[in-house]
Amino acid sequence: MRLDLRGVTVNLDGRPIVHEAGLRVDDGEFVALVGPNGCGKSTLLRTIYRALRPSAGLISVDGDDVHRLPWRESARRTAVVAQETPAELDFTVWEIVLMGRTPYERDAADGERCARALDRVGLAGAQDRVYATLSGGEKQRALIARALVQEPRLLLLDEPTSNLDIRHQLEILHLVRELGVATLAVLHDLNQAAAFCDRLYVMSSGRILAGGPPGEVLTPELISQVYGVRAVQRTQLVFERLKDEAEP
Amino acid sequence: MIIETAPVAPVKPRRNGRFTLLVTVLAVAVVASTWLAVSIGAVHVALPQAWAIVADRLVPGLVPRTWTPVQEQIVWQFRLPRALLALLVGAGLAVVGAVLQALVRNPLADPFLLGISSGASFGAVVVLIMGASTLGGLSLSAAAFAGALLALALVYVLAQRSGRLTPSRLVLAGVALAYLFQAAYSFVLQQAQSGRAAQQVLFWLMGSLGGARWEMLPLPSVVLAAGLTYLLLQHRPLNALSAGEETAVSLGVNVHRLRITLFVLTSLLVGVLVATSGAVAFVGLIVPHAARLLVGADHRRVLPVTALLGAAFLQLVDVAARTVAAPQELALSIVTALFGVPFFLWLLRRRSVDRAVTVT
Repeated sequence: MRLDLRGVTVNLDGRPIVHEAGLRVDDGEFVALVGPNGCGKSTLLRTIYRALRPSAGLISVDGDDVHRLPWRESARRTAVVAQETPAELDFTVWEIVLMGRTPYERDAADGERCARALDRVGLAGAQDRVYATLSGGEKQRALIARALVQEPRLLLLDEPTSNLDIRHQLEILHLVRELGVATLAVLHDLNQAAAFCDRLYVMSSGRILAGGPPGEVLTPELISQVYGVRAVQRTQLVFERLKDEAEP
Repeated sequence: MIIETAPVAPVKPRRNGRFTLLVTVLAVAVVASTWLAVSIGAVHVALPQAWAIVADRLVPGLVPRTWTPVQEQIVWQFRLPRALLALLVGAGLAVVGAVLQALVRNPLADPFLLGISSGASFGAVVVLIMGASTLGGLSLSAAAFAGALLALALVYVLAQRSGRLTPSRLVLAGVALAYLFQAAYSFVLQQAQSGRAAQQVLFWLMGSLGGARWEMLPLPSVVLAAGLTYLLLQHRPLNALSAGEETAVSLGVNVHRLRITLFVLTSLLVGVLVATSGAVAFVGLIVPHAARLLVGADHRRVLPVTALLGAAFLQLVDVAARTVAAPQELALSIVTALFGVPFFLWLLRRRSVDRAVTVT
């Protein structure tokens, strides 16, 4: 089991944001975490990557309590792709990706690792460009390349597609899926979550209400309870990524 | 995790050659500007002679004596320590600026913005005007450092909220405290018995290397060398931190400890530097930006280039400050402002342009 959460409670400014959350991600699984705005899903994710501390409960990655590991060790196990890294300073794509090696000692193979990761996300030609000048999709791919050179055993995504158009959303999600790394992704779009994940958890008001395969969890009853909307199943347009299409 | 190896892109060519060349050029500029500074002044000493005087002091009898004792005294007793202090102050303030800009992730950050140098000035003014006895016999340097540390501790406490330090709160707290300390030392100045002493302090507050003596050099040299070494060793955590707090955390950086270390280090540097030369404006703001224009944002390159650029820049500024209106000396901040303000405005314009233009 890659990631295991038991009874995790997180308080921010004394207010409980996450209450006794439990979930797990197994090897090679893509697990989604969904829920309405403010339900605590991002807070939970940030607690897993140690931006926040839980006030109760246990978060373990590969069997060890993350919050007791040395900082570098937890970063070797878990990589994060957040929405977008705002960069006031003008780092190049190469420098951003090389940052993924921060938790490791410097190594002669670092250059090759970065080149491979950039190639993997389709940014091989963009290594010298300034990160701030990239498009939203390219930025996201550069951050995935950074997560790749971190050689993590668990990947955390925080709404990785929220600022992207539909084509780039699909591209990013496919890319992450194909990596085969155990992934926990906070996703906004229920249809997308259902299409891409092996299992998903639904959060509401700081609690995890349900978890399991999307077909079993996303019932009209649960959706109306959590989101306050009526789910209507009907034939609709389904977007699929065109294979091998060149960047317009 | 295994990454497919099929089409391996060419490993990025390291641009170390260009970087080495730039560092060499800047090192030459530092030496050349210092040489110039030692030679120029009310008593003219020809360039070769200035060189010979220094060489003779280092290795007695190396060169035949072609200079007068007065020239020797001027070069060795006054100009050389002053020139070396200019290098230390220029390099130190510039490096502090670079570090603080990364720390608060604000391109407009400098030692003044965070109130550190106002705190240092306050400590120094108290000792200068009211006498060392008021602060229990602290030396000027120690008082300036204590002031810097006090300012820093207050900024840190005010800026943090439930254990987290947000850059915007840090800047706001820093600006507020800078005003507070300025008010405090203005009050001390106003209460000063001697108008002449007050005038001297005012001049000193705007930056002057006029008081440079050999015995003032060891402390800033040691602090700067140690600080720069530490920062260079920490260039990767610094890069991560300048990309964002959460990014740094997710890359395994102990952000809380790094921030405290950087705060103490920058206050130590500002404290000892302000104690020797007063508050020299703009160096800490513009030099790091100039360095980044040359080498990008990676601190492994930014820090050495910032140090060298700051050293050469302040050396030339000091030469201008003592020659332009000779025999009167200008305060350093007047000269740095001549360069600093236009650069600052240009920087603001450039950044807004940056956001609008997307490279295709």
